[in-house]
Amino acid sequence: MRSSPKSKLSHDAIKAWRVSLSIFILFLVLGLFFLWGYKLLSPEAGFFSMWTLIAITVILIVITGLGIFFIPEIRWRRWSYEVDEHEVDLQSGIFIITRTLVPIKRVQHVDTRQGPILRSYSLADVTISTAATTHRIPALNEEVADQVRDRISKFARLAEEDV
Amino acid sequence: MFELQRQHPAAALANAFDIIRANFITILILIFVGSGGREANFTLYWIIGTFLFLLIWGVISWYRFEFSVEEGELRIEQGVLVRKKLYLTSDRIQVIDISAGVVQRLFGLVAVEVKTAGSSSKEAKISAITREKAERLKKILRKNSEKSDDSQEAEPVSQHKIYVLDTKDLLIAASTSGRFGVALSVVGVAFSQVEQLISEEQMIRFVETIIPRSTNASMIAMSIFAVIAIAWLFSFASTIIKYYDFVVEVRENELLISRGLFERTQLTIPFNRIQAVQIKEELLRQPLGYASLVIESAGYGESEGNSTTLFPLLAKPQIYNFINEVIPDYQTEISENSTVPSVGLRRYLFRMLWISLPVILIVWGSIPYGVYSWFLLIPALLLGYQQYSDAEIARGKDTLILTFRLLSKTTAMVKKYRMQSCQVQQNPFQKRLDLSNLTVHVASGNQGRAFTVRDIGITKAMDYRTWLSNGKENNNISDDESHEPLNENFDDPDATR
Repeated sequence: MRSSPKSKLSHDAIKAWRVSLSIFILFLVLGLFFLWGYKLLSPEAGFFSMWTLIAITVILIVITGLGIFFIPEIRWRRWSYEVDEHEVDLQSGIFIITRTLVPIKRVQHVDTRQGPILRSYSLADVTISTAATTHRIPALNEEVADQVRDRISKFARLAEEDV
Repeated sequence: MFELQRQHPAAALANAFDIIRANFITILILIFVGSGGREANFTLYWIIGTFLFLLIWGVISWYRFEFSVEEGELRIEQGVLVRKKLYLTSDRIQVIDISAGVVQRLFGLVAVEVKTAGSSSKEAKISAITREKAERLKKILRKNSEKSDDSQEAEPVSQHKIYVLDTKDLLIAASTSGRFGVALSVVGVAFSQVEQLISEEQMIRFVETIIPRSTNASMIAMSIFAVIAIAWLFSFASTIIKYYDFVVEVRENELLISRGLFERTQLTIPFNRIQAVQIKEELLRQPLGYASLVIESAGYGESEGNSTTLFPLLAKPQIYNFINEVIPDYQTEISENSTVPSVGLRRYLFRMLWISLPVILIVWGSIPYGVYSWFLLIPALLLGYQQYSDAEIARGKDTLILTFRLLSKTTAMVKKYRMQSCQVQQNPFQKRLDLSNLTVHVASGNQGRAFTVRDIGITKAMDYRTWLSNGKENNNISDDESHEPLNENFDDPDATR
């Protein structure tokens, strides 16, 4: 593709993504433990055969490995964004690369969001809404996120709105 | 001014029917579940009881519903248990719809629905008043909305251009309707449920008495034929009901569409609310050289995307005339276009292959004579080829024209300054071939609508993307704003949220 947008996400994004994915996977693992326990205690009952369970476990391990060690890194490398007075330009995607362009004029509102995990790394998401779509720049440094938000909203105010 | 008053008493009935219609499926389920195993009488009591309850509810809500117009505001007080007051300032009102359902027509009345941007419109509906009152109400509310009134008053009615769908076209539209597909799946599912209602023996006995000595194959063919015929009848009837007496009136700054057999619906769409125009050439209509026009509009305050049929059936050569006369903004000279490069063909063919293979395999494995399902591949691949040759992006002065096909060919025309965002996507397979998908989002209702053209050259796609973003001011925007005083409120995000 043509030259990527210039700004990158915060490097801490990788850690934050790893943590949030780990938490999610923890729930799945708990569920899996429950199934295993059920299977081992009463081998005859259960809706799953042993092989299904083993397959599920293997798949979960593979997903965990990929999701924690590789995906966040690649995702971070692919993510970039750029904001100027005419447009917001985003690039993202692990397999499918998406280049999104939002004319500043169309922006209806911008906000920053922060969940507990992001907060512990002092990161924040910036969400950009138009009349039709919502776009997210994930995991920026808090200060950067505030700057980006203020910039977009300033440019949006300057641009003549018409829809 | 309108003094405080109630609606016509028929509103009670209309309300009851509205509730029934809104919860039709729930009611059906309740009746089925409620009657499970018990005698038929019980079901009857159940239905009568529900209806009585709804009627009483309707009467109370009629009694509790009062409206008036004071100081340029439409004031509605309503609510059976919780009293709600709704004040709508006339310059916030975007659309006033006058419609007449079955109940209203019985009493010679109309319903008035007032829509503002953003808010949900359900509450601002006066479900039964006389037509004169409705017209007067509309006039008063319009009058207060500033200058737009003067031009409307001054303009003689005869100047409006009017387009009517004649009977022949209505019949063609109905017999080639795209709802056919939807109806087909519904009837198909219903048909597969028949088994559960009637026992197999009964079924076989029935079939044997009607068609003696039928073979398996002819029975399958017969049932497929029956499903198709029933589905076609459904779609035929529903299209006629929907588009009966379809009239488009072109006013100075709005379009007035009225249609419907049992329920007359009147839609007012201001030109500056139009976000995109689509020409749809449905599978059955294309060979006959017909297409329909659909417009996307914003600011209705509805949760789903808002597509409105602008005209249900037009012969291909007439389309551009029609656009020129009704929505001249969308008349464009194409200055540049690009199609899918020939390496993209295989992606279109493979996609259809992947989609049709599972179906074929399932059918092959599950029903007798399923081997013949392999013949599905032929139309599937033809469709893929057709999709490939139809896909195209073109641009005029400030209009982007995207042509693509799923089943029916769609030509979407989007003004540069109406585009909300634009995406170029590329997956690893496309990367090898330097292809990409281009998606353009426009506002439509509260959410947006996306138009995607697949597998066009990446350089071209990025080119269009850059072109779209360079939304330098052009005449159309300022032009647009000069005659849309209502729009200002909608612009301001704080005002609508």
